[in-house]
Amino acid sequence: MSKTEDDIQDVLENLSLLSPSAGDASRPTPEAMANLKQRLLAAERQSFSWRITNMLNRKYVFATVSLILLFVIALSFPGVRAAASDFLGLFRVDKFAPISISPEQIALLEEIAESGLYPGEIQMIEEPGEPQYVGSLSEAEDVSGMSVRRPGDLEDPDSIYAMSGGSGRLIVDVENARAILGVAGVDPALIPDSLDQATVEVTVFPSVSQNWNEGIVLLQSPSPEIQYPDDVDISALGSALLQVLGMEQAEADNIAANFDWTSTLLVPIPENMASFNEVRVDGEVGLALSSLEGNNSGLIWQRDGVVYVLSGADTRQLIDVANSLQ
Amino acid sequence: MSDKVPKGKPVTAISDNVLIERLNQGDIASFETLFFRHYDRVYGLLFRLLGNRAEAEDVAQEVFIKLYQKPLSGRRDHNVSAWLYRVATNKGYNQIRSRKRRWQRDVVLNSDVGDTASDPAEIADKNDSITSVRTALLSLPERQAKLLLLRQMGLSYAELGEACGIAKGSVGKTLSRAAEAFRSAYEKENRGRR
Repeated sequence: MSKTEDDIQDVLENLSLLSPSAGDASRPTPEAMANLKQRLLAAERQSFSWRITNMLNRKYVFATVSLILLFVIALSFPGVRAAASDFLGLFRVDKFAPISISPEQIALLEEIAESGLYPGEIQMIEEPGEPQYVGSLSEAEDVSGMSVRRPGDLEDPDSIYAMSGGSGRLIVDVENARAILGVAGVDPALIPDSLDQATVEVTVFPSVSQNWNEGIVLLQSPSPEIQYPDDVDISALGSALLQVLGMEQAEADNIAANFDWTSTLLVPIPENMASFNEVRVDGEVGLALSSLEGNNSGLIWQRDGVVYVLSGADTRQLIDVANSLQ
Repeated sequence: MSDKVPKGKPVTAISDNVLIERLNQGDIASFETLFFRHYDRVYGLLFRLLGNRAEAEDVAQEVFIKLYQKPLSGRRDHNVSAWLYRVATNKGYNQIRSRKRRWQRDVVLNSDVGDTASDPAEIADKNDSITSVRTALLSLPERQAKLLLLRQMGLSYAELGEACGIAKGSVGKTLSRAAEAFRSAYEKENRGRR
């Protein structure tokens, strides 16, 4: 056996410590099968559409959906987003641009994500903390370290949660990023060789959530920051991202060439879940989302470097609440 | 002619690809056969990664739920076990990422040493060793860790290539690099513990 093989063998012997011992053995396979059947049955009862409807009915979850979407996009396609800047090394959210996405495209993106095809290696530097219940806005400010605004139109919130920030990095693997484009039916050559092993750092800051029993939730957090390499073709990569989200190439090329990729965050809106329109809110241009059933609404906007997500039942009421923030 | 399967012959004579084809046509029995054929190894891989029986069982079930809900397409050349290992490691790493609190990770790193040794000092020593090995392993890039784990489970170079998406001719070199990276991480981990 060569020295290299000996070395590998030594390592494998170390790793054999991780093998399940007799006491770690899984339950008998028939028992595991029976358990699996129960889970499959439960999953079938809870069909995808039912789960989505259910999610929309849970207002707190709906309130955070938009923000999660922001982070999903930021974290899922940082290589593309990073490369979309011509000269700036730092992305901060200033504006939002909605893009309608079909259920078929969502399913395709989910499939890509579940297949384990990531555009590179993700390394967590600091995990975001769990939401922490706090008794007052001043305590929320102490815990989060941020200044918290509250709506003058409403009484004190019924509950308040603060959450710490976190950060991570993605080391781009061009081969994988191209594979994602390929699976999505987009020209892999849109990703340049120069992106390989480029590092993209994402920082998410603390957030505070105020909740009212009537179903209104206000979440606020400083804009996430994305640091990325420069000197790449903005339009080509922006177009690639838009095509991954389901846009036709010609339209994607046209929009990408005229888009401010350094401060505008794409917000994909599932076309079978919600409609959207631009609104003037809190002195800024924001985005209003309404569930197709009409019983849930959400607003997203940015002001002074802070991203706000407000949800409730009625868009008009939410705009009034947002305009009363102090 | 007897229906009995002769001793020493595998009872699972139908290929995975045929079972997948039948599963695509709604044949639940084929799914069960695939489950019985692969569950133990998928569980074994996840236990090595997660170090916790309940968690490994749960994630292993998620792997098969995925196979059931989104069966592989009707192509005849799928390597089902490679697909299962790939999904299992992806889900295993997702599970590790989702452990929000550090104490949970520490508990898992130290947990479930299902050893029959009764000497507390011996158990503590083994706990320490397992923790060092798993910490070093999890510090490696995912592909290297996966390669080492699957090799330790006895997969051939050809199987490793398929499961990890590496050209067969490059497996040896990649494995050697992974072993070197592990050795270095392990030594660093042990130095830190002294």
